[in-house]
Amino acid sequence: MKTIIKKEIKMMLREKGNLFFLIIMPILFIVMFGSIFGKTGHFSLTIHYIDDDATSMSSAFIHQVDQVKGVKMVHEKASDLPDVIDKIKKGQLSFLLVVNDGFEASLKDGKQAHIKFYQDPAMESEGGTIEAILQSIADDYRKQKIMNTLHALGQSNEAIAKTLEPAVHIKKITPAVESINTITQVVPGMTVMFVFYIMISMTRRFFKEKDSGLLSRCQSTGMKPIEYLIGMWIPYALGVVVQCTALLAFGHFVYHLHLGDLKALCLLILALSLCGSGIGLALSVLVRGENQGMAITQVVALGGAMVGGLWVPSYLLPSLVQKIGHLTPQFWAQKGLQDIFAHGAGVSGIWLSLVILFAFGLAGLFIAVIRLPHFLKSAA
Amino acid sequence: MDLKNPQPNRETLLEVDHLRKTFGKLEALKNVTFSVNTGSCFGLLGPNGAGKSTTMKILAGILSADSGSARLLGKNVLLDKSVVAKNVGYVPQEITLYEEFTALENLTFFGELYGVKGRELRKRTEKVLEDTGLAERARDKVKTFSGGMKRRINIGCALLHRPRLLILDEPTVGIDPQSRNRIFEMIRKLTEEGVTVIYSTHYMEEVEQLCDEAAIIDHGEVMAHGPLGELLERYGRKAVYLEVTGLKEIPQHPLIKAANREGIGWILESENLPELMQWLLSVASNQRWEVKQLDIVRPSLEQVFLTVTGTALRD
Repeated sequence: MKTIIKKEIKMMLREKGNLFFLIIMPILFIVMFGSIFGKTGHFSLTIHYIDDDATSMSSAFIHQVDQVKGVKMVHEKASDLPDVIDKIKKGQLSFLLVVNDGFEASLKDGKQAHIKFYQDPAMESEGGTIEAILQSIADDYRKQKIMNTLHALGQSNEAIAKTLEPAVHIKKITPAVESINTITQVVPGMTVMFVFYIMISMTRRFFKEKDSGLLSRCQSTGMKPIEYLIGMWIPYALGVVVQCTALLAFGHFVYHLHLGDLKALCLLILALSLCGSGIGLALSVLVRGENQGMAITQVVALGGAMVGGLWVPSYLLPSLVQKIGHLTPQFWAQKGLQDIFAHGAGVSGIWLSLVILFAFGLAGLFIAVIRLPHFLKSAA
Repeated sequence: MDLKNPQPNRETLLEVDHLRKTFGKLEALKNVTFSVNTGSCFGLLGPNGAGKSTTMKILAGILSADSGSARLLGKNVLLDKSVVAKNVGYVPQEITLYEEFTALENLTFFGELYGVKGRELRKRTEKVLEDTGLAERARDKVKTFSGGMKRRINIGCALLHRPRLLILDEPTVGIDPQSRNRIFEMIRKLTEEGVTVIYSTHYMEEVEQLCDEAAIIDHGEVMAHGPLGELLERYGRKAVYLEVTGLKEIPQHPLIKAANREGIGWILESENLPELMQWLLSVASNQRWEVKQLDIVRPSLEQVFLTVTGTALRD
């Protein structure tokens, strides 16, 4: 077995593609996803506006909207109104705010001022956000109007403040040890996703040995089949450990990813390694050829990443997809890693993830052992 | 002696008895029976698809047989794989080496698989590298080797545990004559050292050059087997080649079994070649023929194959 392990480790190290596919490519993905989704904090909704009133109060209103974090106001000429509406119809622009003539006069007279809000129907959810922003600003105006009225009735500032105090106060509390951000999503997500690509390397090696006649020649030396299987498996399990260590270390040193409880993290990496390489082992002896192995790997790796919440947080997925995701090892690996990184979980906090990942890995090994005689026979 | 099922007349190393193997509906081996004497170079001759590789893979412990037995040193290799691992070196038809590894790394890998370790392994790899003439290229990657060099190291990988029986499955496929001769030298040296060799090929001349015993296998059956001389004697055509100017037809005579044109001469088959030659010379003298050539035709394995199978050796 030691001879097979040594040989396979040498083969892994000499195959330059392994370094690229198992380490460099995931790092590129982490950097790419990190730079795309890491900028969500600076993400802004652009609202085009036309100020028909052109008074100090209408300007103040627009300025107030512009001050809202994530909103960018773009001025349009009043004469361009038909063009802008046409562009919204075509989906070329998303939102338009029109402050009607008489805005300031209405407010001064205590009458209702009017604004118009146009939106691209395709931007329904974003439009809802803007409506809420506008409603909030309108509420401030209403509050001001009530304050003016109460002042006129002779009430003190304290009494007015008490009257306008919200009936329900919401206090925002974030119990996580570290804030959950793009990095705590992307780094473990990409790490887990690329772990399953070890299945391609494994299938390729098994079929190369089989098709070249090396496997049948090795059989003639009296090598025990189970020793061959374990000898072929251990280097890839170690490969996954190295891969996870390298990617998480990259996340830690480059993106300051908080690694949490290292004992729990080591155990989870071990479980993930057993899981990925165990499934890879089963696949290698089950499939009819390298191409079939590659196709199934893509389905397992990409499909699992999609429904397992590796690309976007699981809670953002439709409930049915979330339920399906719970059946994938990717979900449990991601959950375990995020629990360690963001929720301060130790070994006891990730036991379910560990059990499920080990179970997947052992199931893979079991299938491989059962199927091995058939694979060896086909090699002869 | 019955050449189809000969009794061993010296120490028998391997006895293969009624070996049968099917792959689904295909009956690859119907009835393979032969024996190999210790120290001999045994040629397994047959066209592609005859069952040579299947027989060899069974003997090397890679395939199992449906029925029959194969006894090596008295032990049934079908039941006791350890006797194969210890005593058999198998060289498959394909070059089964790790191209990214050096010659030394390949030898070490296979040596370790055969259970040879440490200093003994180093000693044996050095000897194999010397024997294959690749000592100077020991640390070069196999992918940089020529086809002939790869073939030699391919054989070398099966020698590290000092096998009693070396099974070579078409070891000269796709190499130049020079490399082929080098491999022949290696095989001759091995047989001199006491290693028994089973040499599978569909090249008759290779068996004629190397082997002292042979079996002809076709459609999964051994058609004939025994010492090469006996095979040629029994199944080979006895004939003379006669080249005479001006002769249009060979006169009929009881000594001539058959007369056939070959090139510008005649092949005359007979059971008594010396008498036939004497008669031909006397006729030539009487008839004033100008005899340009009169030779005994050496019996060939090709002729033996034709006789026992009824067909020429196909590719």
